[in-house]
Amino acid sequence: MNNFEEKKNKALKVLSEHEDSKLLTHLNSCVHCGLCAESCMYYLTSNDERYIPAKKVDLVASIYQRYCTFTGKYFPFLGKARELDEAAAEEMTDLLYGACTLCGRCTKHCSIGVDIGFVIKKGRQMLTEMGYTPASLQSTVNAAINSGNNMSIPESELRDTLTWLEEDLRDEVNDPDASIPLNVPNADILYTLNPREPKFFPLSISAMAKIFYAAKESWSLSTQMYDVTNYAYFTSSKSEAVTIAERLYNETVNLNAKRCVLAECGHGSRAFRWEAPNYLQKQFPFETITSVELMAEYISKGRIKLDKSINKEVVTLHDPCNLVREGGVIEPQRYVLKNAASEFVEMTPHGIDNFCCGGGGGQLAMSEYNERRMKTAEIKAEQIRKTGAKVVVTPCHNCVDQLMQIDNKFKLGVQVKTLAEIVADAIILD
Amino acid sequence: MALYRIVSLIAFLICFASLAYHFLRLIRFGVPKDYSVKKGNTAAAIAYSYTGGMNPLKKESAYLHYPTYTAGILYHTGTFVSLVLFFLFLLNTGFSSSVQWALVCVLAVSAASGLGIFIKRTALNKLRYLSNPDDYVSNLLVTLFQLFTLIVLIDGAFAPYYYISASVLFLYLPLGKLKHSIYFFAARYHLGFFYGWRGIWPAGNEERTR
Ligand code: SF4
Ligand code: SF4
Repeated sequence: MNNFEEKKNKALKVLSEHEDSKLLTHLNSCVHCGLCAESCMYYLTSNDERYIPAKKVDLVASIYQRYCTFTGKYFPFLGKARELDEAAAEEMTDLLYGACTLCGRCTKHCSIGVDIGFVIKKGRQMLTEMGYTPASLQSTVNAAINSGNNMSIPESELRDTLTWLEEDLRDEVNDPDASIPLNVPNADILYTLNPREPKFFPLSISAMAKIFYAAKESWSLSTQMYDVTNYAYFTSSKSEAVTIAERLYNETVNLNAKRCVLAECGHGSRAFRWEAPNYLQKQFPFETITSVELMAEYISKGRIKLDKSINKEVVTLHDPCNLVREGGVIEPQRYVLKNAASEFVEMTPHGIDNFCCGGGGGQLAMSEYNERRMKTAEIKAEQIRKTGAKVVVTPCHNCVDQLMQIDNKFKLGVQVKTLAEIVADAIILD
Repeated sequence: MALYRIVSLIAFLICFASLAYHFLRLIRFGVPKDYSVKKGNTAAAIAYSYTGGMNPLKKESAYLHYPTYTAGILYHTGTFVSLVLFFLFLLNTGFSSSVQWALVCVLAVSAASGLGIFIKRTALNKLRYLSNPDDYVSNLLVTLFQLFTLIVLIDGAFAPYYYISASVLFLYLPLGKLKHSIYFFAARYHLGFFYGWRGIWPAGNEERTR
């Protein structure tokens, strides 16, 4: 058996392994009505038929048909059932990795209800089995596996950053005892970070530390495992996703925290809250919530007090797909913003109908598709421009990065902030 | 019973058995087991998936494409009417002339919709690109079945052609995309389960966002 045949067999195994009826269902449901085209930013910004969501489903379904169905085996021309050869694998890589952010918008609007993102992820899994994962994305996964965080930040560097942030916090709240606790067992909360925070956006760590301080929270960070991201979710490598998820699970258990609070990261919160229990095949003995929900809880319970007049500029909100449409955190960020900003305007559309910023699905890590990514951003730029807002808040560090690039490219003149930053600015300390 | 009627009945039974196989396979593969902590109400969300979630105001596939959406609804209505009539014809059920002409009108509109969808598929680059032979064959067979139902309602002399068209449709149905008559319901179930588990559906969470 040649090398490609071996890879092909591994990929085809993905299509024959059924945990339940979901895969079978979604591989057999698309009717090629084409009505999902206008729900996808890739198609909308290019008019390129290859980017129609149904085409991406077809790339996987046609191979499934060819190898796993009666019609596909004996009458392949009927449904254009397709051999899995190198050309097919390359086309799949280009479209399933390079032209989809797994935003799930097409699924919500599909006339049938095909879970298009789910099928595309299965396609990515096949490609990963064959070794076709884009090298840039795989290197992010490798960094997380090898170093414990996706930016390979050494522990000493993290500790240095947190030390000066702690000093800043003390100055800001005028309390020499204010702290950023590290590796404290039995705290109520183990808080996580997106490695972009210590690396590029440390102020969002300060912001959250200030919120915890104001709420008099019992919390801790871990220097061993703090990375909320799981890029293996994007490559659909089950074994790597398990490794990464297991580390955060183990750290939460080891430190005996009551709650694991997920930092502002769309895919990270999805990967740990909704996918990790299934990766690890167990229910977690601690509660997992997002910092967005925690901030809303603090406000509603009166644990923190805000003066929204401090944030005077018009604020709009970008909904991260994995947190909102795919993660069910829809209202808390709105509740927080209504309490933290003088004027909050919604984008159109928003909530579970929101458009992806273009940076999801691992796109920000895959530099080979940068041009396409920034082309899709036209939609988000226009959405932002129409709100007239001066500040765009988004509870996701990936989205922050993409929105800053959008601001730069489309000259929007907006500031991009996390939710914690805007809340921290509005906090009134006792 | 005439031979063509017997043939169509056998074709229907083959079709039914084949769809039953698909349905039973779905049941055998089972429903998702999710280890994460459920946030919403899956039963309510699944119910919503078949009802409010299908509301044309909630789906871009409907509200951005009202002519196609309307044609699709009419076309499917005509298919259901034709299927019911197939059994009524087998039972030699007669109709009053007003009912007969009402049915003819419904089928004329639905078959025209089917034809419209076919023309759209052939005419638009986007749809031609997505389509495979099965899409055209399925569309044509269903439209022809509706047309022959209409014709036979007017003139019983066309019964042999009607039963032949029905037989071909029934034999073809399990081979291609017409299987969505089963998988559509499974897809809505899974969508409802997914959104329900995570507390995204049912409505209430889903405000009108345009
Ligand atoms: S809307 Fe759904 S059924 Fe129609 S082509 Fe797109 S994925 Fe297929
Ligand atoms: S998940 Fe998003 S990016 Fe991917 S095909 Fe669907 S709408 Fe397009």
